[in-house]
Amino acid sequence: MNTSLIALVVALPLLAAFLLPLVPSVLRRLVGPLALLAVAALGMVLWQASLSEPLVLTLGGFRPPLGIVFYVDGVAALFVLTVALVTLLLWPWGGDASENLDRKQSLTLVLAAACTGLAVSGDLFNVYVFYELAAVASYGLAAGSRTAAAQVATFRYVILGSLGSLLALIGITLIYFRTGTLNLAHLADLAPQTLHDPLGLAAFFLILLGLGVKAELFLVNTWAPEVYATAEARVSALLAGLVSKLALLVVVRLLVLVFPLPEAREALLLLGMLGMISGEFAAYRARDIKRMLAWSSIGQLGAAFIAFSIPGPLGLAAGLAIALHHLLVKPALFLLAERWGGGLARLAGAARRSPLGAALFVLFALSLIGVPPLPGFWAKYLLLSGLAAQPDNLYLLAGLVVLVTTVVEAVYLFRVIGVMYGREGATPANEQLDNTQPASALAGSGVFAALLLAAALAAPLLAAPLGRMATQMSDGAAYVARVLPSTATLSGAAQ
Amino acid sequence: MSEFALLTLLIGALGLIALGIGGLVLSRNLFRIVLALSLAEAGANLLLVLVGFRRDAVAPIIESGQALTAIMVDPIPQAMVLTAIVIGVGVQALALSLAIRAYAAYGTLDMSVMRRRMEADIDAAAGAQPATSLHAPAGGRPLPPISAPRLAHDKGAQA
Amino acid sequence: MLTRYGALLFAAGFAFLLFVLFTSQPLGAPTMLAGQAVLNEAAGTVGAANIVTAVVLAYRGIDTLGELSILFAAATAVGLVLGRSHGTDAAATAREPGGFILRAGADLLFPLLLVVGFYIIVHGHLTPGGGFQGGVVLAAAFVLPVLARPSETISHSAMAWVEGLAGGVFIVTGLLALAVDRAFLTPLLGTGQLGTLLSAGTLPLLYLAVGLKVGAELANLLLRMTEEESGT
Repeated sequence: MNTSLIALVVALPLLAAFLLPLVPSVLRRLVGPLALLAVAALGMVLWQASLSEPLVLTLGGFRPPLGIVFYVDGVAALFVLTVALVTLLLWPWGGDASENLDRKQSLTLVLAAACTGLAVSGDLFNVYVFYELAAVASYGLAAGSRTAAAQVATFRYVILGSLGSLLALIGITLIYFRTGTLNLAHLADLAPQTLHDPLGLAAFFLILLGLGVKAELFLVNTWAPEVYATAEARVSALLAGLVSKLALLVVVRLLVLVFPLPEAREALLLLGMLGMISGEFAAYRARDIKRMLAWSSIGQLGAAFIAFSIPGPLGLAAGLAIALHHLLVKPALFLLAERWGGGLARLAGAARRSPLGAALFVLFALSLIGVPPLPGFWAKYLLLSGLAAQPDNLYLLAGLVVLVTTVVEAVYLFRVIGVMYGREGATPANEQLDNTQPASALAGSGVFAALLLAAALAAPLLAAPLGRMATQMSDGAAYVARVLPSTATLSGAAQ
Repeated sequence: MSEFALLTLLIGALGLIALGIGGLVLSRNLFRIVLALSLAEAGANLLLVLVGFRRDAVAPIIESGQALTAIMVDPIPQAMVLTAIVIGVGVQALALSLAIRAYAAYGTLDMSVMRRRMEADIDAAAGAQPATSLHAPAGGRPLPPISAPRLAHDKGAQA
Repeated sequence: MLTRYGALLFAAGFAFLLFVLFTSQPLGAPTMLAGQAVLNEAAGTVGAANIVTAVVLAYRGIDTLGELSILFAAATAVGLVLGRSHGTDAAATAREPGGFILRAGADLLFPLLLVVGFYIIVHGHLTPGGGFQGGVVLAAAFVLPVLARPSETISHSAMAWVEGLAGGVFIVTGLLALAVDRAFLTPLLGTGQLGTLLSAGTLPLLYLAVGLKVGAELANLLLRMTEEESGT
């Protein structure tokens, strides 16, 4: 296929965002969905094409280490497709004054463009720019519920996020200082001689902490419960579902290409374990469902960090499975929880008031815990078998952590289900509560549930493409060869 | 540029970063927090320019009549700094506008006060019990009688 | 108290760590793998005398697009946070105009700032400066009269048109390259004579779009904040 079309996955949503306020109001509501549909179609085509062979686009036509490249392998294309579809499912259709709705739609489009950019970019500083773009758009959306609490929570999020970006920028500066290049393939080529030392590791940790803010990494995730509790359900779903995964993907790309070192893996493993423990236990202690979901999301991303710390395609496959599963389940749960934004006691008897919502909640909760036929089970199975295959004791410990936190997860999720279906505590005041979901939220989570069930039925069929994507992604040498066909001319050009 | 001047610039950049991060952690006033952040960003930008600096080189601009082979500094960090500065401006404007709104709502710029009010608001919106602590135990359990001196101590701690 | 010392210690330790890392190889002699290649090629392939401009708009054009989008997202988010659908005009007209010196100064400076701003923008590919720097000057030109006469606000819809169209022009210029079978953001129209005003192909056009966009976004941000102040 014509590789120059790859640029459209970023350019189209941005163009739509810029021009949205200028479109006549009759057509204005169509601009965003149309742009996202086009990106989804492109993502589909790219996925088909890239599974056999990754595609490379040199932006501006400048040869790689000079200009910026977009690199589309199976994983990147899949994320482009997912970004477009999930954004479409969580699209702000209405519910605001026209002017504010325009703004929210523009910001959502910018967020989608930034996420596709993160998926395909093959340049370190370009990744930073797209990360900041995603950050600013998500700050705007998080503050969009316009309550005072949301504004304070967003302010704290902005400060933590900016501190993270600062650390990431210093890390990038260190890498540029040592190597004199920003292209990921070029860096991967040079890394064994230049970056596999304390300086390179320090740079990696700085970038890890910086990008970790969005990926809800342990230590820099304190914003998550506050923001998810105050933002609109749609926005929480976007941030927890999409943005965190894209930040994670960038960290994994760096880990695979530039820093395939045991120290870097151990750091990921430790932070992942701590995140999982702290997240799941805090979720157990949470007194309302939104913050419970927020903490559980931190725990789940901890599991993804653990999975990605396993070397080789095995770990990548497990990590991708966990990330994609979480991407399906968590947005749906946030959508369902929109009207249940109360203390757990308020949910008593909710199953009778909104039977469909409660049934969907049970489905997602079971998958999150990992009950066999559902995809969550396969994700955890891949993770545990990957961990068990490692000789290092630290990985065994991680396996233990995963098992223990699964029990904790089951306890707090079943507690919610028990309250919802239980008879006790259903006071008359509870019966007056209007916590049935709006039709749009039910429809949205229904689509996620359909996807989840389809994935459960097609689990044997999904294993092959997953394995292929993981193998493709783990092959750093192929990445370098594909982006830089002739490294010899390159080092000759230097000085 | 002498070795000493370069070292001074490096220490200046790192000093700005340290000042910024220290201020970020220590300040409670919202505007000071934003200010500390911009200090740290200025330090990081200075660091980035410094990394592209080359001894005895000229700015990467070709003047008419000049030989194309002149030694020039690295143009890429300069372009990166331009980007980083603009990003910083956007984020600061957003942070300040949030601070303005938060001040209008809560009437304070003290981050710790603001955070407590926010937590209370979240709890109220969720209909959950306020956070449990020594002063406000959870649930409807009967409170143990509190002796007078203890009560006075608690008030002192709150003030 | 302990946390204060801890924080100071942490900041100082962090700075010391960075000091050690950044002195691990000599400053002032950068590796410049990509940088030197850009210096060697830029004049021939892009045709901009200012090589930083060649990097900003040609080699790393997508970064610049991202940067513009960040400004756009920030301005949109500020509008979402501060924006009120009504009542701003009434609040603004109630304010008194500035003193004579401020008003006369603003009137005198307005055309001057406009000329300087556009000069910096259109010479961005030749001399230091460019769309971002010139755009800031333009924003100042439009904010100054509002400071002098708070009752005369600039229409937000006009600003929205400039914002949207300038951003659109940047992307569409990039997309035009696809029509002639080149990659996104490839500079078109040849390189021209190095060092002349009409050189470097589409780069001056792109910088004009950047300048207008930056100017409109920044003016928008500043005006929102002044309106907020006059409203409360």
